[in-house]
Amino acid sequence: MNENLFTSFSTPTLMGLPIIIMIIAFPALLYPTSNRLISNRIRTLQQYLINLILKQMMAIHSPKGRTWSLMLMSLIIFIASTNLLGLLPHTFTPTTQLSINLGLAIPLWAGAVILGFRYKFKTSVSHFLPQGTPILLIPMLIIIETISLFIQPMALAVRLTANITAGHLLMHLIGAATLALFSISTSTALITFIILLLLTILEFAVALIQAYVFTLLVSLYLHDNT
Amino acid sequence: MAGPEADSQFQFTGIKKYFNSYTLTGRMNCVLATYGGIALLVLYFKLRPKKTPAVKAS
Repeated sequence: MNENLFTSFSTPTLMGLPIIIMIIAFPALLYPTSNRLISNRIRTLQQYLINLILKQMMAIHSPKGRTWSLMLMSLIIFIASTNLLGLLPHTFTPTTQLSINLGLAIPLWAGAVILGFRYKFKTSVSHFLPQGTPILLIPMLIIIETISLFIQPMALAVRLTANITAGHLLMHLIGAATLALFSISTSTALITFIILLLLTILEFAVALIQAYVFTLLVSLYLHDNT
Repeated sequence: MAGPEADSQFQFTGIKKYFNSYTLTGRMNCVLATYGGIALLVLYFKLRPKKTPAVKAS
């Protein structure tokens, strides 16, 4: 039982070869592309949705921050589509792996921070001391702010990993419980099944929200530093 | 949080002119001074001579 629970999170191999690169690249294949300015209905719908997210997300940024638009849009679409595809049965979700989330979080956070220190050194350094701090608290607060800065990429990665992994694990457990209870007591199995349905709806929401939160936080770190 | 404050709206004198938690320069100097202090502490503990206890002849 224990082995069954966690095998869905192991990196997939096909005849001994790792196919994780293919799995990460797969969601991109689902989005149609076109060379034309005005294309078909599905492309128009896709463009409309992306523009909606783009305008909402990049409205607060300066022109320098807006150079990151493509990066942030790709990020949110990748995380959202990967998370949603992971809700299908027997699929592997790359965002359950801490390695992948760290690989997304650390370079993006580091890029934003280095940008801030390179172009706006005074403002970036003064972020470590909130305005109006009492004198006696200054050293302690600076140390706390430094620690919180370095925790940001870890928190980004672990938040996404934990949320998606926990959701998948719960669905697995409650599904197994429903199946086990079916032969024992049908009414209890029905209640468990309803819980499973509600959880699945929650997981849909969580998949999209986590993508949004990840991208929003990266955008916030960028805003602080541009 | 208010927008970026202008350093000119605060008039401090003496050491407060360079180390305060209101102006951008003041905050930067406080942060750099704290980091410098921590670096000096670390350096002091690394470089101080280690006292070896005297061996007692039995």
